[in-house]
Amino acid sequence: MGLLNFTREPVPEAVSGDMQSLNQLSAQQFSALTEVLFRFLMEPKEVERFLTQLSDFATMNKISLGPLKNIVKSILLVPSGALKRNLSSEQVRADFIALGLSEEKASYFAEQWKVNSPTLTRLAVDQTLMINQLIDMEWKFGVTAGSSELEKVGSIFLQLKLVIKKGSQMENVYVELTLPQFYSFLHEMERVKTSLESFS
Amino acid sequence: PAALNASRFAPCQAPSRDAVRQLCQECFSSPPARLGPLAQRICPGLAAGPGEAQQLVSALHNLTRHVVYRGLTRAEDILSLFPENFHQNLKNLLTKIILENISAWRNEAQASQISLPRLVDLDWRVDIKTSSDSISRMAVPTCLLQFKIQEDAALCGNSPVVSALTVELSKETLDTMLEGLGRIRDQLSAVANK
Repeated sequence: MGLLNFTREPVPEAVSGDMQSLNQLSAQQFSALTEVLFRFLMEPKEVERFLTQLSDFATMNKISLGPLKNIVKSILLVPSGALKRNLSSEQVRADFIALGLSEEKASYFAEQWKVNSPTLTRLAVDQTLMINQLIDMEWKFGVTAGSSELEKVGSIFLQLKLVIKKGSQMENVYVELTLPQFYSFLHEMERVKTSLESFS
Repeated sequence: PAALNASRFAPCQAPSRDAVRQLCQECFSSPPARLGPLAQRICPGLAAGPGEAQQLVSALHNLTRHVVYRGLTRAEDILSLFPENFHQNLKNLLTKIILENISAWRNEAQASQISLPRLVDLDWRVDIKTSSDSISRMAVPTCLLQFKIQEDAALCGNSPVVSALTVELSKETLDTMLEGLGRIRDQLSAVANK
């Protein structure tokens, strides 16, 4: 395999097998699957909806859901990398072909990429902010005492200290959350956990 | 980062090191509203006009608070906040003073009501990437979590800066984080039930 645009790392071995499985799909089936994928790419928090649509696709086309999920994970590697690197539709097409997808299907996917590019570009801008690793999290509670803002008297807030690794450097980030924000944060993280589990 | 203008420091007479140390401390501790009176008080000692003293005091206030809230701990990170043409000895002295005071100032910030940066928004998405710590590489789901954080309004003048911090969480990191968040929730329930 030649140099890929979407990643500098070697791809998982399973990927070429998954591309061959995709080549077995009819043009219609591939088009339907691509539609489901792009709906997810455009609204990446809609994990439950995505998984439901995958499950429906599997049932309708008499494919097992487990292998389908693995195939989908392999496909998604490309858009993930493409968003981080701001790739063009031609580069996306070239990468899929390099991975073993048929020219026809690779071109179709790339065409959808182009059509959806305004939203995808916006997502790409959000992604090009540097991504850091979370190393540790500490916290403290604080209580606001009397201040000139009456409604703040006696309210508890949370001070989080996030230890982040930026490249090779460690940095501490301090952030304050109100209690409602904390409960919302907890709820969202539980949603994330469910989402990650359904992808495994 | 706080914009430092070298010219804010130039017109002032070089006071003693102890005076500089004391000034940094006072500028850090002072709430923004008290910076005016502080500037007026130090004018004679610096042989500076009131406008210059005000600028100096604001600059030191912003600089010291910025260092504390960002959790900067290394000399290089503090030195890099100064503009290129800044007076070398003064830059080194200020950096030294700041480093000496950082943990005391952080405790002061947390103990008092100086507000830390605040969370304004939280967003996330699932990302699929190649996991490179297993023997056979696999496509695994991770979470990209983005915090939108607003700096202390007092630090930024009238236009608070909102910065975005994106972290990647593996399933394991997420589980650990959820454990921590669960403990926080339990502590809150314990307080509520007292």
